[in-house]
Amino acid sequence: MKGSVAVVAELGRRSIRQTFRRPQLIAPLLVIPTLLLAVQAAGAGRAIDLPGFPPVESFFDFLLAGAMLQSALLAGNSGGIALAIDIEMGFTDRLLAAPIPRFAIVAGRLAGTAAMGAVTAVWFLAIGLIFGVRIEEGLLGALLMIALVTLAALSFGTLGAALALRSGSASVVQGTFPLVFVILFLSTAFFPADLLLEPARTIARFNPLSFIAEAVRDPVISVFSARELLEGLAGIVLVGAAGLALCSLALRRRLRLG
Amino acid sequence: MPAIEVSNLQRAFSAGVLAVAGIDLRVDAGEIYAFLGPNGAGKTTTVRMLTTLLRPTGGSATVAGHDVVAEPAAVRAAIGVALQEAALDPLMTGRELIRMQATLHGIPRAEGQRRADDLLRRVGLVEAGDRRVGTYSGGMKRRLDLASALVHEPRVLFLDEPTTGLDPVSRKSIWEEVEALNREGTTVFLTTQYLEEADQLADRVGIISAGRIVAEGTPAALKAEVGKPRMELVLAAGERGDCVEVLSRFGDPLPPRDGTLMIEVAAGSAAIAPVVRALDEAGITVESLDVVEPTLDDVFVAKTGHHLEGDEASEPGTGEAEAVSG
Amino acid sequence: MDIALATDWATIRALVRRSANELIRVPGAAVPGVLAPTIFFLGLTAVFGNLTLLPGFTTGSYASFMVPVSMLQGAGFTGAAMGVNLARDIELGLFDRFLASPAPRWVLLTGLVLSAAIRSFIPATFVFLIALAVGAHLPGPGGLIVTYLCVVGTATIAACWSATIALRFKTQSAAPLMQTVMLALVLCTTAYAPQELLTGWLATAAEYNPFTQVVDAARQGFVGGVTWEGTWPAFAVIAALTALLGALALRGMRRTAY
Ligand SMILES: Nc1ncnc2c1ncn2[C@@H]1O[C@H](COP(=O)(O)OP(=O)(O)OP(=O)(O)O)[C@@H](O)[C@H]1O
Ligand SMILES: [Mg+2]
Repeated sequence: MKGSVAVVAELGRRSIRQTFRRPQLIAPLLVIPTLLLAVQAAGAGRAIDLPGFPPVESFFDFLLAGAMLQSALLAGNSGGIALAIDIEMGFTDRLLAAPIPRFAIVAGRLAGTAAMGAVTAVWFLAIGLIFGVRIEEGLLGALLMIALVTLAALSFGTLGAALALRSGSASVVQGTFPLVFVILFLSTAFFPADLLLEPARTIARFNPLSFIAEAVRDPVISVFSARELLEGLAGIVLVGAAGLALCSLALRRRLRLG
Repeated sequence: MPAIEVSNLQRAFSAGVLAVAGIDLRVDAGEIYAFLGPNGAGKTTTVRMLTTLLRPTGGSATVAGHDVVAEPAAVRAAIGVALQEAALDPLMTGRELIRMQATLHGIPRAEGQRRADDLLRRVGLVEAGDRRVGTYSGGMKRRLDLASALVHEPRVLFLDEPTTGLDPVSRKSIWEEVEALNREGTTVFLTTQYLEEADQLADRVGIISAGRIVAEGTPAALKAEVGKPRMELVLAAGERGDCVEVLSRFGDPLPPRDGTLMIEVAAGSAAIAPVVRALDEAGITVESLDVVEPTLDDVFVAKTGHHLEGDEASEPGTGEAEAVSG
Repeated sequence: MDIALATDWATIRALVRRSANELIRVPGAAVPGVLAPTIFFLGLTAVFGNLTLLPGFTTGSYASFMVPVSMLQGAGFTGAAMGVNLARDIELGLFDRFLASPAPRWVLLTGLVLSAAIRSFIPATFVFLIALAVGAHLPGPGGLIVTYLCVVGTATIAACWSATIALRFKTQSAAPLMQTVMLALVLCTTAYAPQELLTGWLATAAEYNPFTQVVDAARQGFVGGVTWEGTWPAFAVIAALTALLGALALRGMRRTAY
């Protein structure tokens, strides 16, 4: 047990180092969501006048959680790409041949993804504070948001990792990039469910990302609600459990096929 | 008019690497000139400057009578280029590639078609001509690249390491093609890491190391410069006696190494029979005997202190930076 | 003179043919370029569709309002993709073949740009047909011609910009710079809502962003009538940006100092 902790820590350190050494890889994770946040907050800013929009100070406040989760999803995708590159270069085979637990390979990679998630949460909190977002729940609320986004990135990362393990191809994982936006548009990340058009409205009500988004948004726009938090956590666990199950299947298949 | 004339040509890269540190050379029309040097010596950098793909940071060069900086278009019209790595679009067929090259040189359609047929035949790619380049072997790619460089019948042909990575048979076929082109009047400037290639093909060889030409001349003259052929002998155990005296009749003795006696023999292999006979008469038994001709590697060692192959010490910005990031 | 022009034209055609190979000979190569603008179109329409309830929209259909933006975005991505391909060709040494040939540099650039302009019809038309399927207004022939001219113009601008970046950085990892700038150029306009409804910084940015003229012109036929006053500024902007960015790209090509 102690041994595997050390292995995971070492692989995690490697993946975090790798993530932060390549600014050209991180930049898009932050730049595109930031650009969309800025453009949508101002371009659709009048949306808050629509009948039925929840009471918020500005559309920017509402969108902040969506931007964070967009980054977290992209981080999960790029973590998958990094793992696929490792597989393509044979690094993963070297690990599989070593006397270390299999899950360490995935766990190490997820550490990097989670770290990316934390960075994006802090980034968007900073942007929010600069542009006048007031977090209703204060410092504790902010910390809660960081924790949730980090966990969300972790759970999205399991999906990226599963895809990487299954396909073993960086370009296949890269190709799922547009899916990130499909998932986002079909959730309440950018707009309240009641105001979405069908069929997005119905899908968003069941999309786990909607629950995660509500939980991250809650501390910004209203007083703390345990229910929203629990629903968000449930969404994260659901996605993470599904991702881990897929990872384990993909890993087993990979070992079976050699 | 010389085909290529280079004076104090230099190229510095931003990282502070002086890849080409001031070279002078002159290649006459109709010559094959080989640039011989190890990895990182500056061969590709020089070729890129002479083919207008890279701007020099000092000095000057003319190719086919045109200055590479002032009249790049005229230079491009006169030269054919096959660069290292033979970068070819894998999605095109061999024939399409040659025809595109013809178009780039302003050759009309019908004529381009005709030349493509001719060239494919010439380099033995008729069968493969309508297959995508992505399916070609390394040797086929090199031959196609060579063919495409010939489509406009250039006066001066640049070949950057045309045979690196090829097996001996493919290498031979490229050599034959280059020799044939040269007989037809094309001036050839080629770079190589292979002594044999320079020796075999070139009228003159320039040896480049760390961005400088350290020796230049015909292969024979260069080799003569480092010394005469030498004979190496190993005698049966205990035989020493007066053999030194016998051998010195045939040439100046060299210091022995690991029990091997060495003498210089101006006559080369022709000296073997008389030496063996003389030793036999003196009653000395020879275990082995060999005549070693000087090679271009000897020239290289004499000029730089390094061996040409398997010795990277002469690379200016050694591979360390890459090792760290990799 | 005539012979020289015929030669140049043959070279341009050869370059266009080579670029078409990519679409014709690589299965699925056209998919990513079509997918991204389609996802954005459908997603943004579903998410922000109810914005048309706000006073200030001249159309009740957000799909009609958004489709020209997505068509331009598709053109922008196409131009950027051309830049990425150029960077790849430079990385692999394929572009040396063109640079070492006597073809004039403007001919090489024109070949690349024309490829992108022609190719931009694919995503634009795909999005257009999807939009019609989900009920967007079908513009008259005049409106459609103006929209398509704006599409071609946008692809040209994007191709010139991306070529400049590719020639400057000579690596495919500069791709985000090509794509993000084009995305920002298209979105920091009246993309999401009419000028009167924009809030905050975007209200100012869209007013001064010359590309707003292009978006508004391309949109005319979808939300109302086409006028010459609403059209010529877009053509002027396209001409000016093409001249500026084309000159930069040409300079990049002439300065082959790697
Ligand atoms: N773009 C560049 N930036 C920085 N340094 C460079 C660049 N291109 C080449 N160099 C350096 O210039 C030196 C000479 O390189 P060049 O490619 O000319 O060598 P070469 O003789 O062709 O070697 P090889 O046999 O490996 O092809 C090397 O040290 C190389 O690292
Ligand atoms: Mg080289």
